[in-house]
Amino acid sequence: MSGQSKKHWISVLGALVFVCGATAHVQAQPVGDAQKGASLFATHCAECHSMKEGKHKKGPALFSILGTKAGQQAGYAYSEAMKSSNVTWTAEALGRYVTSPKGFIPGGKMKYDGMENPGERADLLAYLSSQGK
Amino acid sequence: MLFMKKNWYTVDAGMACKWFLILFSLLCFEAHALPSYARQTGMDCAGCHVGAYGPQLTPAGIRFKIGGYTDSDGQEGKVPLSAMVVGSRTHTQVDQAPAPGIRANNNTKMDEASVFLAGRWTQNVGSFIQVTYDGVAKTSALDHMDIRYARPVELNGKESIIGVSVNNNPGVQDPFNTMPVWGFPYVSSPVGFGTGGAASLINGGLEHRVTGASAYVFYDDALYGEFGTYRSLSSAAQTKLGLGPVADTNQRLGGNAYWRLGWFKDYKAQSFHLGMFGWNANLQEDKTTPDPRNKYRDLGVDGNYQFLGTREHVATLGGSYIREHKTDGTTNLVSTVDEYKLNASYHYNQTWGMGAGVFANKALDAVGADAGTRGYLWQLDWTPWGKEGHSAPAPWSAANLRLGAQYWVYSKFNGNTANARDQNTLYIFAWTSF
Repeated sequence: MSGQSKKHWISVLGALVFVCGATAHVQAQPVGDAQKGASLFATHCAECHSMKEGKHKKGPALFSILGTKAGQQAGYAYSEAMKSSNVTWTAEALGRYVTSPKGFIPGGKMKYDGMENPGERADLLAYLSSQGK
Repeated sequence: MLFMKKNWYTVDAGMACKWFLILFSLLCFEAHALPSYARQTGMDCAGCHVGAYGPQLTPAGIRFKIGGYTDSDGQEGKVPLSAMVVGSRTHTQVDQAPAPGIRANNNTKMDEASVFLAGRWTQNVGSFIQVTYDGVAKTSALDHMDIRYARPVELNGKESIIGVSVNNNPGVQDPFNTMPVWGFPYVSSPVGFGTGGAASLINGGLEHRVTGASAYVFYDDALYGEFGTYRSLSSAAQTKLGLGPVADTNQRLGGNAYWRLGWFKDYKAQSFHLGMFGWNANLQEDKTTPDPRNKYRDLGVDGNYQFLGTREHVATLGGSYIREHKTDGTTNLVSTVDEYKLNASYHYNQTWGMGAGVFANKALDAVGADAGTRGYLWQLDWTPWGKEGHSAPAPWSAANLRLGAQYWVYSKFNGNTANARDQNTLYIFAWTSF
């Protein structure tokens, strides 16, 4: 193999390593689609949660939820577990909660098994973070 | 539209005033008390009901009922009272023999007005109790009653619910949408012909004239099992509850067993249910005579599919089959009833709905004569409120309304095929709840 060919294959290998690394990064923290997230919210969440500020249903309103402290909205009766969780709703915390509500906050009262698909979670979080901006 | 021409607007002034007063009084009532379940949970009607109006339950509604009507938004002080009024216009293809309170044709009626004690009593006890004024018979009576205790438990490591229902109609406690009590069609004309005169015992044969209890378990949000038994109310109790003249209160229920098995799966964007149910009952038709009890063996299978998606397009498909085997206590002769139902519905934006269903009853007596009924119906409906962002005007923001039209077509009626179409019926209704 000539030196030029070697360089060519090293370049290809390097590109592959870069692409794989980038893909792995995307899979770990996928970028969500807020429009798909709105549909997921309608399917999975809207019966019990509203995106209107202060409109609580069986679950609390989720308007502008990112960055707020868990269990602190006025006018909603949270479980003791949620009130004392000391969680701040970062994107990561919300992602973990949506994955397994009772796993993340044992003793919470949300009746939802969890959203397993990371892509769907990313879409949902993209939608939640787009509300209240 | 010839059937709508005659007398459509000839409601007399007295009737109009009566309707106005009834509606006004209920609207005033609503100003102080929202529909109880929606108020209790903070959810919209559409959260628990297909098409944003009862009684067809979504998976959320199924869980709410199994949970004992006790889910809430955590706020105390909600009054569990609601009301409902149904008014209608009924036209049949051929004039019928007039009866007290019923004209030969083109009947405009307040079908019924109901008051409900419906909602959470304690953390584990809730109710659905309905008292109804029948606008045709002009009588009031205890209607459906279901008081239940339910609590969450862990069974074999799985989240489950166990409960007990005390009720007055086998099947009224059922959480799915396909048994006779809550099956399609969800409203029908009080002066129409329904699915004919022949019906199985579990299809309303003793509704409200019995009281009983059943215990149930809902395992892992999937498997449902229930077992219960009933006894007849005394004649005096039935009369006090408004259940008709003494002659209608003489049935005496002997040993009996009600059961229900179901498999339910909720995938959020769609759900389905498959099940079986039955009621084995020994019944003395008239306890004032020495006649022995007849043996009823009712067995049913049912299923329901819902496409829910993002709730913009919601479609359902449901069906049931009931087989009744009755042995006469005196003659030992056997008669049977077979009831088939299949129905589908579609709602757009939880507002505009259409539905259709076919029904067929085959009722064979001991010598093989059939008194069954067969036909189909379609329904169009409009439900303007009951979902987020679409409420009735203040101060009645939690009130709901459905306007609809049904058309029933018969190919056999009570065993008669020759003149079955004489029973074809147009039913236009306004159904409102507060």
